[in-house]
Amino acid sequence: MKPLLAFMKKECLETVRTGKFMILMLLFVLFGIMSPAIAKLTPWLMEMFSDAMAESGLIVSNIQVDAMTSWTQFFKNIPMALIAYVLIFSDIFTKEYKSGTLLLVLTKGLPRYKVVLGKTLLLLSFWTLGYGLCFAVTYGYNSYFWDNGIADNLFPAAAVWWLFGVWVICLMVLFSALLQNNAGVSLCIGGTVLLAYVLSIIPKVRAYSPAVLMNTGSLLLGAEEASAYIKAIVITVALCIVCVSVSIPVIDRKQL
Amino acid sequence: MDVLAIQNLKKNFGSKKVLCGLDLSVPEHSIFGFIGKNGAGKTTTMKAILGLLRVDSGEIFCMGEKVHFGQTNTNRYIGYLPDVPEFYSYMTPTEYLTLCGEICGMDRADIITRRKELLELVGLGHERRRIKGFSRGMKQRLGIAQALLGRPKLLICDEPTSALDPAGRKEILDILLRVKEQTTALFSTHILSDVERICTEAAFLNNGKIAMQGTIAELRNRRSSDGFIIETEKKEAADTLIKVFGGLQRTGQNALVFHGDEDRLFDIMQYVAENRMPVQKIERIEPTLESLFLEVTT
Repeated sequence: MKPLLAFMKKECLETVRTGKFMILMLLFVLFGIMSPAIAKLTPWLMEMFSDAMAESGLIVSNIQVDAMTSWTQFFKNIPMALIAYVLIFSDIFTKEYKSGTLLLVLTKGLPRYKVVLGKTLLLLSFWTLGYGLCFAVTYGYNSYFWDNGIADNLFPAAAVWWLFGVWVICLMVLFSALLQNNAGVSLCIGGTVLLAYVLSIIPKVRAYSPAVLMNTGSLLLGAEEASAYIKAIVITVALCIVCVSVSIPVIDRKQL
Repeated sequence: MDVLAIQNLKKNFGSKKVLCGLDLSVPEHSIFGFIGKNGAGKTTTMKAILGLLRVDSGEIFCMGEKVHFGQTNTNRYIGYLPDVPEFYSYMTPTEYLTLCGEICGMDRADIITRRKELLELVGLGHERRRIKGFSRGMKQRLGIAQALLGRPKLLICDEPTSALDPAGRKEILDILLRVKEQTTALFSTHILSDVERICTEAAFLNNGKIAMQGTIAELRNRRSSDGFIIETEKKEAADTLIKVFGGLQRTGQNALVFHGDEDRLFDIMQYVAENRMPVQKIERIEPTLESLFLEVTT
């Protein structure tokens, strides 16, 4: 346990001292502010363009915005935050392979599986922290401007999207174990998510694809209950466990 | 007792045979020089000892325990310094040694005393900067400190002096000499003067095998002499000797060198005495590790 904690402490120090932590937190706060800000600015923007739109036959009438507009925007923005997160951390393993920094800690007796676990736990913690911060900022602004009660199943929807992020992180761990460079890791994550998205288009497979976890719209509108996502949640959790479990023997056999 | 024993180690990279049945034993409390040309397989052997590389066949024992690829418990006996040690550059030396100590499972009080002791030993005791700003020599010295942290039975240094300037080299060699009492050091190199300066034993690696192994004195005695230098007082005497005795080479105006046994030297001396040729000096060329190395590797 002590070596794992020591390694995680080193990972935290690295994230803070290389400036990644600061960038991440700013990014998540920014995305958190952006959703209510866009919702708030929509009527003003529409008004500005109303003349131009009237010329093309579109008449802008009284535009209503509420917490739902902001939450819809939130779930539209969060994929970009996840992409940024993946890009920032895509070299978390590969940088250590390339520089050879892992060599010394491994020869000190750190078990390789603890490297995988330490990095995975750190990635999950920072994702949870960042995502939670982003959600909290949006929630705060929304309750100040409007009423959050309008969005049904808000917390289940947020949790479902968080789980999607967890799956992407587990994919990052798996591809980092398999590949040597971070560009490859990012591309493979993108490819796998795209594949899951394509599968989710097929009606029979749809309910099982992790990509479904990104569609939180119907949950918010109350058209669907969280129970409709159960199959996808179970599959995603299983895939996460598989990804991390496969990474361990792969790293064990890696020649450094 | 042997700290390290390697038996019939073989490793190929594709079609290239790097190690072809390497046998090596390192006795306790020795400073063991592992000598070989660039690309001879020194680093490969060291990585195999650390379980970082899968070997094709053969066995490695460290303190009597077998080394396994991947996760090996024998690393608890070993301190390793790679040729170019890479550290987490955002840490200070103290933080880095603390991390290493915690990974080794040392207790806090021990880490504090040991890191202070070692940083003093390698001359980084007052260094508060992060590793990012360190020179190569400083990194190498920190590398030795981290390798010695867990009081290893075997210290493995992969070409620790190759990339350093003379001052840096001297510092590293002095540190290795100082730790001789605490541990056994195996260090690879192709700088033979370093071996002659600090090693008690050495082995020559050539064509994937150990071509020669023994104490430095034993290795030197393998070759009785590399030849003789004869310096005459007058140039004419040297010219005469060249004419009379074949195989003499001129190295200076009056200086001649010849490679051969002592009988030949006596013949020359007799000729010199009979013809009353004034001689400035006759000197035996002592065999050096360099000449031995060249003999073994060519």
